[in-house]
Amino acid sequence: MDVRSLFTNRSARPYGLLLLIAVLLWVLDGGRGLFLTPATLFSVLQQFATIGPIALGLGLSMIIREFDLSVGGMLSLSGCIAVLTGAQYPALGVALAVLFGVIWGSFQGAIMVWLRLGSIGVTLGGLLTLGGLAYVVTGNLSITYPRMDVALAVNQPILYVFSLRSLIALGAFLIAAFFMARTRGGRDVYATGSDRRAALVSGVRTDAIIPAVFACSGALAALSGSLLSYSLAAASGVALTDALVPATAAAIIGGVSLTGGKGTPLGVVGGVLVLCLLSAGLNAVGTPPAVQDVVTGGVLFIVAVVDAVDLGPRLFAIRRALTKSF
Amino acid sequence: MSEQALSAGWRHAWRLSLPYSRRGRILFAIRAAAVLILIAAAVSTPGFFTAVSLFSLLNTTSFIGCVAIGMTFITLSGNIMSFALGATLSTSGMVFMAALPLGLTAALLTAMAFGAAITGFQGAVIGYFRANPIIVSMAALALITGGATLITQGQGIYPQGDAAAALRGHIFGVPMPLAAFIATVVVVQVVLSFTRFGRQLYMVGSNWRAALASGLEPARIVLGAYVGAGLCTAVAGILMAARYSSGDLELGLGYDYSAISAVLVGGTSIVGGEGSAVRTLVGAFIIAICQVLLLLHGFSTQIQYLCIGVIVLFVIMVQTLAEGE
Amino acid sequence: MLLSGLEFGGTTALREVAQQREVDARPGTAPAVLGVRHLSKSFGPVTALRNVSLDISPGEIHGICGENGAGKSTLVKILTGVYRPDAGNIFVNGAVVSIATPRQAQEQGIAIVAQELSLCPDLSVEDNIWLGSLRVPFLHKRPELRRRAAEALNLLGAGYIALDAPVATLGMGERQLVEIARLLTRDARVLILDEPTATLTDVEIERIFAALLAVKREGRSVLYITHRLAEVYTICDRVTVLRNGELVATRSREELDRGMLIEMMLGRPSGEMYPQETPTHGASALHVEGLSLPGVVTDFAMNARSGEIVCIAGQVGSGAAEIVAALAGLVHDADGRVTLDGKPLKLGSAVRAAQRGIMYVSGDRAAEGVFRRLSVLHNLAATRLREFSLFGFLRGGALRAIASRIAHRIGIDRRRLRSRADELSGGNQQKLAFGRCLERRTGSVLLMNEPTRGIDVGARAEIYRLMRSFCEEGYTLVMASSDLEEILGVGDIIITLYRGRRVGRYARGEVTMHRIVADITHPMEPRA
Repeated sequence: MDVRSLFTNRSARPYGLLLLIAVLLWVLDGGRGLFLTPATLFSVLQQFATIGPIALGLGLSMIIREFDLSVGGMLSLSGCIAVLTGAQYPALGVALAVLFGVIWGSFQGAIMVWLRLGSIGVTLGGLLTLGGLAYVVTGNLSITYPRMDVALAVNQPILYVFSLRSLIALGAFLIAAFFMARTRGGRDVYATGSDRRAALVSGVRTDAIIPAVFACSGALAALSGSLLSYSLAAASGVALTDALVPATAAAIIGGVSLTGGKGTPLGVVGGVLVLCLLSAGLNAVGTPPAVQDVVTGGVLFIVAVVDAVDLGPRLFAIRRALTKSF
Repeated sequence: MSEQALSAGWRHAWRLSLPYSRRGRILFAIRAAAVLILIAAAVSTPGFFTAVSLFSLLNTTSFIGCVAIGMTFITLSGNIMSFALGATLSTSGMVFMAALPLGLTAALLTAMAFGAAITGFQGAVIGYFRANPIIVSMAALALITGGATLITQGQGIYPQGDAAAALRGHIFGVPMPLAAFIATVVVVQVVLSFTRFGRQLYMVGSNWRAALASGLEPARIVLGAYVGAGLCTAVAGILMAARYSSGDLELGLGYDYSAISAVLVGGTSIVGGEGSAVRTLVGAFIIAICQVLLLLHGFSTQIQYLCIGVIVLFVIMVQTLAEGE
Repeated sequence: MLLSGLEFGGTTALREVAQQREVDARPGTAPAVLGVRHLSKSFGPVTALRNVSLDISPGEIHGICGENGAGKSTLVKILTGVYRPDAGNIFVNGAVVSIATPRQAQEQGIAIVAQELSLCPDLSVEDNIWLGSLRVPFLHKRPELRRRAAEALNLLGAGYIALDAPVATLGMGERQLVEIARLLTRDARVLILDEPTATLTDVEIERIFAALLAVKREGRSVLYITHRLAEVYTICDRVTVLRNGELVATRSREELDRGMLIEMMLGRPSGEMYPQETPTHGASALHVEGLSLPGVVTDFAMNARSGEIVCIAGQVGSGAAEIVAALAGLVHDADGRVTLDGKPLKLGSAVRAAQRGIMYVSGDRAAEGVFRRLSVLHNLAATRLREFSLFGFLRGGALRAIASRIAHRIGIDRRRLRSRADELSGGNQQKLAFGRCLERRTGSVLLMNEPTRGIDVGARAEIYRLMRSFCEEGYTLVMASSDLEEILGVGDIIITLYRGRRVGRYARGEVTMHRIVADITHPMEPRA
C-alpha cells in the first residue's frame, strides 16, 4: 500500500490523523511523562468503550444513508433497564437492555420501511420518546445500582490498558468488521446505502436490511448504555444527548460518508480513537475541557467542509477566476 | 402596492394555503379536528386559564416558539434542522448582557447581529459548499459552547444596572415574550408568503437543481435562511436573558429538540419546500396545551416529556400517510 | 389513444381472437416458459398497458418492439416485480404465478438488464455481478464465484475490467457490460434485456449477440426489447409489436418486412407527430468552439441560429447531455469558447447563464425540472419573480395572470393552477418546465436534455408543437436526445456524437436513421 493511498483511503485516514495527534501530543508533552502513560491509554480506551459502540451503530445507519438520532435516548433508557433488572444477574440486565435496543430499533426501521419515511423524523420522535421513558422510569432521580462489585469489575484494568467494557466494545467492532467485509449481509448493507433502488431491483431485501441496521444501532447503544450504568453504579434519566456529537464526529472522521455506501467498522475504530485520544491527551496535558469541545468542533467542521459536495466546483471556479485574471 | 392589490393578495394567500387535492383536504381536516379537540379539552378543564403555571408556560412557549420560527427557515430551505440554535440562543443572550452598558438599543442590535453572523456563517458553508447541514450544526454547537465557556471561564454574565427591565414587562397587556413571538410570526409569515425571497426559499427547499435551472442562486437563499434563523434565535436569547437577568450557557439547553418538535408537529415537511411560520406557531401551541392539560390532570413533567415524543412520532406518521407518496 | 379506439373499436373482439389463434398455433409446441394473459396497467389517467397477451417459448429470442411510450418498459417492470398489474396474469411453465418483488421474479427464473442500470457505485464489479443473486452463500467471497464472474466478463470481451474496481470508476459502456455479465451468471430461464445496446459500440454489440445465441442453445429464452429495427432482424426469432400500450401483432422473423414493422410500430405517417419546420432562420445566436469537459467531451463545436432546432444525437453516456448541461452552466469544469449573440459567455455558472437568457429543460423532471411539492402556479412563476416584484414584495395578481395565460398556452387546465405539480401526469409536468421558459422578456436560448423521456405520445406531440412556437418567437433551441426518431422528426440541424467527439453534421432531410446509428456506434474518424 503506497503512501498516497493511505491518505485517499477513507478508512485509513483516521489512523493517519491518529498518528499526527499522537506526535503532536508527544511534542507538547515535552518529555514530562504526563502523557505517554498506560493510565492515559486506559482512560482513552474507557472512553472508547462508551462512545465506540454508539459510533459504530450510528455509522452503520449512515452507511445505509440514514441517521439514527435516537442513540442518545437509547443510551440513557438502556442504562435504566439494566440497572433495574440486573441486580441479581448483571448479564441478564445487559441482555434485556440489548434486547430492548433490538426491538426498538427494528420498530423504528419498520416504520420507515412501511411508511417510506426518512429516518430523521422517525428517530427524532424515537429520541424524544426514549428520553421521556427514561425520565418517567427514573422519576427524574438517579437510580443507584446496588452491585458495587459489578461496577468495579467492568472497569477493572486488564493488561494495564483494557477493561471488560473496552474489550466488549472491541469485540463488537471485530464482529461488525467481519460481517461487513466478508458476508453477503454486509455487502447488501453497502449496496442499500450506495443505491437503494439499484439494490432493490437487483433482488436485495432492502426492506429487511433497514430495520436490521437500526436494530443493530439500538442494540449497540443499549450495550454501551447498560455497561456505562454499571460502571457508574447509577442510571440517570437525563437523555445523554451529548453523546450524539462525539459519536457522529467519530464516525465521520472514521471515513463514513453521509451520502452512504462508504465506511468500515475499522475506520470507525480509528475515528473514535482520534477523538478519545484528543480528549484524554488534552486532559493529561492540562488544558480545560472547553478546549476539547472547540477541538472536536473544529475537526468536525473541517471534515464537513472537506466532504462537502460543492467544494470542488467552488474551488475550481475560484482558481480559474484567479488564473484568468493574471 | 395598492390597497386593492394588498387585500387581494391576502385573500389569495389564504386560498393558496388551503389544500386543493383530496388527500390534502383530508390531512387538513385531521389537523383542524385535532386542534379543535385540544381547544375543547383545554376550555373544559377546570383551572386551565387561571393556572399559575400557565403564565410561565406561555413564556417558555414564546421562547421556544421564536427559536422554532428560526428553525422553520432552516427546515423550509431543505436543510432539515440545526443543533446549534440552542447554543446560539444562550450566547446571544450573553452578548446582549455584555453589551448592555452601551445602551439598550445598541445591545439589542449587537446581540441580533451576533446571532445573524454566527448562524449565517454556517449557512454560507452549507449553501456555497453544500456541506452536510447536520454535521455543520453539530460542529458549530461544539465550537460555540466551547468558545463561550473559554471566554467566560464558565461564569454567567450579569448586567450592571437594570437597562433590560423594559423587556420584562407587558406591552398592551400581553407579556413581552409572547408579544415578541407573535410579532416574529407575523413578520416571518409575511416574508414567506409575500416576498420574492420567501418564494425562492420554497423553491430551493423543494428542488435545488430545479432552482438552479430556473435562474436562482440557491446558495444565497440558504444563507438568507440561516441569517433569518439567527435573528429569530437572537430575539429569543435577548428576551430570555432579560427575564432571568443573566446570560448563561445553560439557558438554551434542549431548545433544538423542542424547536424542531414544534416545527414538525405544526406540519412543516422535514424535507423542505412545504410549511409556514403559522404552522409552527400552531405546533408550538399544540405542544404547550398538551403539556398544560397533562399537568392539570395530574401527570408529572416526565410523562409530559414522554407524551411530546410520542406526539411527534405520531404526527410524522400521520402526515406521511395522508400525503401519500 | 382515442384515435386508435375509433380505428379499431369495432374489431377489437376480432383482434383478440386472432391473437389467441396466433398464440395457440405457433410452431414448436413446447409449453411456453413465460406467458402473460390480458395484462393491463394504468398510472392514474394514463394507460400504459391494455390487455396484452403473449408467450415466450423455451430456446427462443423474442423481440419486443415499439416506440417510446408504447408500454415495453412497463411490461418488463411487471414481469420483474417492480410494478403490480391492475389486471391479468403471469404464467411460468403454464402455471399462474405472482411476482410481487424483484426477488420473486428471480425465484421464478426471470432476470433482467434494465434501461436504468442497477449497479451500486460503491461496490466492486464482482460484488455487483453477484448482488442479489439467490445462489450466493453467507460468506460470499468464494473463489468459484469469482471465477464465474471473470468468465462472464471474458465472454463479453470485457475481461480487462478489474473485478475489484468500484463500479463508480467505470465508463457507461463498461457498466452496461457488467450488468450483462450479471445477467449471464444468473440461472435464469428467461433473460430480459431492455434496450441493452444504448451505450455500446457495434463490436460490443456483436459480442452480446454471440452470448445470447449461446444462451439460446442452452435452451434458455431471451426477451429482447428494442426500437432498433436492424437488431430485430439480426437476432430475434419472433417479434411482438406494441403500440400505445396494446399488442398489435406477434410475428416470426420470416413473416415480417421492414415496412410492415415500421407501420405497426408507428401506426400513422410519422409526419403527423412532428410539425413542419419554420423556414426563417436568423443570425447565428449561439456559437461554440473547442468545448471540452474533462473525461467526457473533447473539442466540440457547433453553430446554432435563432429560430432553429439543433439536435445533438448520441447514445447514453456519449456526452450529448453533458454538452447541453455545460452550455446551461451546470458543469463547473467545462472549458471552451462560447459566444451568445456576439458576446462571449462564461461557462461554469448557472446563474450567469440564466442572466444571459439561457433556459434549461431537463427530461429528469424529479431531479432537475419541476418543483413537485409546489403548485402549478408557483412552478410557472418560478422564473419571473424578479420581473413581478416591487421592493422585494411579489405582485401576486400579476403573477397569477401570467401563469394563467401560460397554462392556457401549454394546454393545462387553468383550474389546476393551485394543484401540486406532482399531481399532474409526467407529460404535463414537463410542459410546466417548458411553460417556465415561455414569454420571458430576456429569453433567447432554450437548452433541452431528453425533454420527452418517459412521456406519452399525446403529450410529446404537444411538446414538439411548443418547441416550434419557441422557434417562431425567435428562440434558438438545442436539444440532446438518444431518441433517434425524435431527432429525425424535429431537428433542423443534426449533429452526431460518439464518445465525446463530434462525428457529423447534417441538415434536415440530408440524413437517414441508418447513417445516424452508424455515426453514434462506430469508432470512426470525425468528419466535418
